[in-house]
Amino acid sequence: MPLADALSFFPGLATAAAEPAEDIAALRRLAEWCGRYSPWTAPDGADGVRVEITGSAHLWGGEPALAADLMARLDRRHLAGRIAIADTLGAAWATARFAEGKSPVILPPGDCGAALAPLPVEALRLDLVTAQGLRRVGLKRVGDLSAMPRDALARRFGQIVTQRLDQAQGDLPEPLSPLGEAPTRRVRLSFAEPVADPADLLLATERLVEDLIPRLAQEGAGARRLDLGFHRVDGRVERIRLGTARPSRDQRHLTALFKERLDTIDPGLGIEDVILAAFMVEPLPPEQIGLAGHAPTNETNSIALLLDRLGNRLGLAALSRLDPRASHIPERASVYVPISVAPAKTGAQRHPAPVPGSLDPRLRGDDEIRPPWPIRLFDPPEPVEAFWLLPDDPPFRFAWRRRRHRVTRADGPERIADEWWRPEGSSAVDAIRDYYRVEDEEGRRFWLFRMGLHGHDHPPRWFVHGVFS
Amino acid sequence: MTDWRARLPELRERIRRIERPTAAVHGVLPFGIAAIDQLLPGGGLARGALHEIYGVGGDEEDGALAAAFVAGILGRLTTQKSSAGDGTVLWCLSRPDLYGPGLAAHGLDPARLVLVRAPRDTEILWALEEGLRAPGIAAVVGEVGTLAAVASRRLQLAAERSGITAFLLRRWRDGGQAARERNLPNAAVTRWRIAELPSLPTLGEPGVGHPRWRIELLRCRGGEPVCWEVEEADATGHVSLASALADRPAPPVPVQQFRLVG
Repeated sequence: MPLADALSFFPGLATAAAEPAEDIAALRRLAEWCGRYSPWTAPDGADGVRVEITGSAHLWGGEPALAADLMARLDRRHLAGRIAIADTLGAAWATARFAEGKSPVILPPGDCGAALAPLPVEALRLDLVTAQGLRRVGLKRVGDLSAMPRDALARRFGQIVTQRLDQAQGDLPEPLSPLGEAPTRRVRLSFAEPVADPADLLLATERLVEDLIPRLAQEGAGARRLDLGFHRVDGRVERIRLGTARPSRDQRHLTALFKERLDTIDPGLGIEDVILAAFMVEPLPPEQIGLAGHAPTNETNSIALLLDRLGNRLGLAALSRLDPRASHIPERASVYVPISVAPAKTGAQRHPAPVPGSLDPRLRGDDEIRPPWPIRLFDPPEPVEAFWLLPDDPPFRFAWRRRRHRVTRADGPERIADEWWRPEGSSAVDAIRDYYRVEDEEGRRFWLFRMGLHGHDHPPRWFVHGVFS
Repeated sequence: MTDWRARLPELRERIRRIERPTAAVHGVLPFGIAAIDQLLPGGGLARGALHEIYGVGGDEEDGALAAAFVAGILGRLTTQKSSAGDGTVLWCLSRPDLYGPGLAAHGLDPARLVLVRAPRDTEILWALEEGLRAPGIAAVVGEVGTLAAVASRRLQLAAERSGITAFLLRRWRDGGQAARERNLPNAAVTRWRIAELPSLPTLGEPGVGHPRWRIELLRCRGGEPVCWEVEEADATGHVSLASALADRPAPPVPVQQFRLVG
């Protein structure tokens, strides 16, 4: 009924504007908070949360204890809810929404059929039309459905009915796709009372790292990506995400990296759980430990630690290497590659190796096939205004960055066309570049190119691609 | 009576060290050209110290000549047997326009570089300081614009402590900022300014000839300002003095001699 009518019935009705986006976000936060029980959580529809607790129930002392804990915490946050634990997702969904009885309801393992039989057919997550169709032919309960022949049901009402039935009874698998990535290792520390002191949080972090390292060491693996989650009392989760350039299980190093970022955490009214999850784990052979328990200061090791520190403050994408590529297009001949990508096999591609030449300039002939490369290359090339004699003389004057340059000497043209054999290359006239090495009156040397040829559709454009020394 | 004579060489050494505190603490890297090396204290570029380099005119924004100069020095540094670590060089910049083949042409193998991109000068200075503390690095290079004297002092101390050579390439956003900041004092041991000169035409051929530079040593701790004109470094990283137009550098000031008295 419209709001006005409702207000006329009950003048004291409490109303609030509906905010569906906020509701969805709040549900997501709740699902994230449920991550304290298990990393496999996801929002379910508009009013539920699914949690996969296989293998984590024993940490809480059994399923009844877990359910009681969850119930208590929801009560504390003034959230009314019903909890159901079952073998399959379908059975849990049905029991939570349609079963009578006090919540939480825990179905005994292995026997979903009997528990589901008295529930109405809507409990099978069927849409309204199908459910009404089933009711019209007299199938009102799930128990009635399981008694019917399956192909008759499928023919009359569609595959979805038998599918949902199988999923609820466990004959068809239905995996849960979790909210975030599923971690490979997880350690958790829960506090009896909420903690907000930074010193305590640091201690908790150290303890967790200490717990995780022996497990990694046992498997001969090191972590590349770690996520430290602080679950606050009010349901928000604060995270510190860490990445390392090489797999690491150095306790001091990881603790120091976390400690640097610990002051970005806002504990709010208190933290009740701290969870350390490792996402990417790679094999790491055992390293020799020096005397007194410290790792020997191996130089590659210390460079890796330096890269981790730089990467965690500036972002791992800020660290790169120059990698040569087989291409005669200048900007593709040498690319910036992130440091975490393994270097190419030696010998595959190399930058042009420095060739010792004669010191006396007169003896060093210009027998190099390619002209020397500039030391600065602009990406993208910067447009200039140039004046040149047709058809392909080097420019005699050009203007760049609001400065005029008069060219005194020039070399060129060297034609570099686009790589037409590549899918994104083109053989259009516009993609042809004629490169010139020019020197202006002050002695500055530039690498200019003209894109396109004169006489075709578009007038050719000039760019400066690099600066020589 | 002979007691103090025996201690004299030790006293001389101490006085020499007080006079030139950073000269040969970690050794020097010679340029390979007598005319340049003679005028640098210790016979070359001091290692384990902070050096500052910038360009002239438009090059204050692009930093091409400074980069080429540093690439030549680093090439020699990393190929020497006595260089520290495995020869990794940390190059911190804010604009990713360094070109690998260009570095190779000046003698520095780009495979040795680790590039760190940071948009702000403060972050670049922080990265330089972190790099100066890692024992495996051979040298660090930073392209900074604004440099506080305190920050440069910290870098110099860190370089002295670890023996890693640090180079600051000054690169500004525009000429105005450059004019304000290029003359500010800082703690670098040497300050170089590289300017381009019109090239010498190759015999009988039109076109751009062999590039020439003017290298000015503006400040040097324990030395005098000098100016040279050189041909561009070839791929071994050595510059050669332009034969036809060798500048006559100022005569070196004679070092004070202590005469034995008594």
